[in-house]
Amino acid sequence: MKLLAHLKEAFLNLSSSKLRSTLALLGILVGTASVVAMVSGGELATNEALKQFKTLGTDLLAVAINDVPNDEPGSHQQINLSLSQANAIRAVDKNILDVAPYTQLYNPMQYEGRSVNGSVLGITNTFSQVIHLEIASGRLISSFDQHSLFCVIGSNLYDDLKKINFRDPLGKQLQIGQNFFTIVGVVKPWPENSFVYANIDSSVLIPILTSTTLSQYSTINNVILRLAPRANIEELNSHITQYINQEIPGKRLFFRSAKELISSMAKQSQILTIFLGLIGGISLLVGGIGVMNIMLVSVVERRREIGIRLAVGATRADIRYLFLTEAVLLSLVGGTLGVLIGIMIAFVIAWLWHWEFLLFWWPPIIGFSVSVAIGVFFGFYPAYQASQLDPIEALRSE
Amino acid sequence: MSSLISLENITKVYRSGLSDFHALKGVSFELNIGEMVAIVGASGSGKSTLMNIMGFLDHCTTGKYFFAGQDVSCVPEQDLAGIRNQKIGFVFQSFFLLPRLNALQNTMLPLLYRQTSTELAKEKALLMLEKVGMVNFAKHKPNQLSGGQQQRVAIARALVGEPDVIFADEPTGSLDSATGRDVMDLFHHLNQQEKCTIVIITHDKSVSQNCQRIVTICDGHIV
Repeated sequence: MKLLAHLKEAFLNLSSSKLRSTLALLGILVGTASVVAMVSGGELATNEALKQFKTLGTDLLAVAINDVPNDEPGSHQQINLSLSQANAIRAVDKNILDVAPYTQLYNPMQYEGRSVNGSVLGITNTFSQVIHLEIASGRLISSFDQHSLFCVIGSNLYDDLKKINFRDPLGKQLQIGQNFFTIVGVVKPWPENSFVYANIDSSVLIPILTSTTLSQYSTINNVILRLAPRANIEELNSHITQYINQEIPGKRLFFRSAKELISSMAKQSQILTIFLGLIGGISLLVGGIGVMNIMLVSVVERRREIGIRLAVGATRADIRYLFLTEAVLLSLVGGTLGVLIGIMIAFVIAWLWHWEFLLFWWPPIIGFSVSVAIGVFFGFYPAYQASQLDPIEALRSE
Repeated sequence: MSSLISLENITKVYRSGLSDFHALKGVSFELNIGEMVAIVGASGSGKSTLMNIMGFLDHCTTGKYFFAGQDVSCVPEQDLAGIRNQKIGFVFQSFFLLPRLNALQNTMLPLLYRQTSTELAKEKALLMLEKVGMVNFAKHKPNQLSGGQQQRVAIARALVGEPDVIFADEPTGSLDSATGRDVMDLFHHLNQQEKCTIVIITHDKSVSQNCQRIVTICDGHIV
């Protein structure tokens, strides 16, 4: 018989026991939907995590310069990188396009007599270019600021200050330690990321020379570099290590490259996606077992029909196709509906977590093809059993 | 008259555990083209086994089976379906129509299993339903038909593939005597007018008397 006739007949047979077919279909549907929703959700989470690098760019390298713990007396006097030494890193390798050293302070801050929480970053004029920081109002720290008492605040801090005084903080005084700083600018919200440890949104940015003058603990321990695309990170790291060891010996360097970070995040999220997919796959497996169960019952119930078909000349292959088509049709319909519902669930997940929703093409394809494969796999045994019935015995059965 | 079926010393042994059951103990039988033969016997005499072997539903244990002059004793299992489809038409005691299909679809079934196009199968099936007087019931499901009507549809299904022989296993067994007579009249008509070769298995005397020849089987032997 032709494929279309097989499908028509399978549909007729399935619709004659509606409740049972619906339940089998539901099993496949839930399984497929969970595969599609979970895998899509995992992909959406990955996309969300990597989104920070869209604004940040991927050609970044962070260098952290740490002291080597030393118990020897008299050696506690550690030499730190000077600003000129830090800026000279740029000349170490032709792949380094820009250098942004920064210092970090945790001095108490006050605004209009009320204490404010936040960290203080001492930055150079290159900082905003390197990490793509944009100004919301006022101006950024410039190279003319040198030792001046000007500061730029992050967006969260801006909101906090407005809670203390509803007037625009721009131009007002912020007390850091014993010194009063004039707020000259506010920066736009900067995506939180695992690359620059400081949270810029709740920080005060001051000129780097001011910060080193302010406190003896304010040292240049961090440098962010913007690299040329396709720079060899390994080679760069060794050049920088060599340079810093030469300038200030006895330090330990830690490098974090955006590319490495992305690839390790991608790897992690890949594991997560596979794991989620497996959980979904288990429910799909259960759905498949449901299909098999129902097909086995169907074969027992329709023994006589099988006998009649064999008597009028159906081959064993015809009988096998008859039952296999029913199982595949069940999983085809269940798979299609499951894919649609899975995409809907993924959409709801994105909506609930305020993620950007993207339609990934491969989770639906995987969900759909696995559900059909499960239909064929679990439909095959009942179909085979049906095809092996003895026509005389099948006719005799009630 | 030329021979359609020729059985030579056919035996059938059912093996069940320790004891073997000999259903047929050396049966020789000759069926000619155009004949209408009744096979009669008590239940358990082996007449159904004989029909199953002649109808290619079962293999004999020993002996030779010639169908239209060809030795078909050792036809492999996978070829039997094709032979049943092309050469044999079955009519059963309890009609055995598929309950989900209507009279027309039931009649078309053998043709669909030999890859006939749906249009041609429909045409042929309608013609056959007309022959058995059921064309007005083509769209009826079996449960909407009386026993006699169902049996007529079953006969149409047996005839539609233009088989060489029709095997009818107790075709009137589930019908009242009047309807049974109608069905026998139909067989008679098909044999006389359409030159169909018909084998009827029965233990009903009034049925067997309608046939040209009566073969009595008793305890696995033809008497």
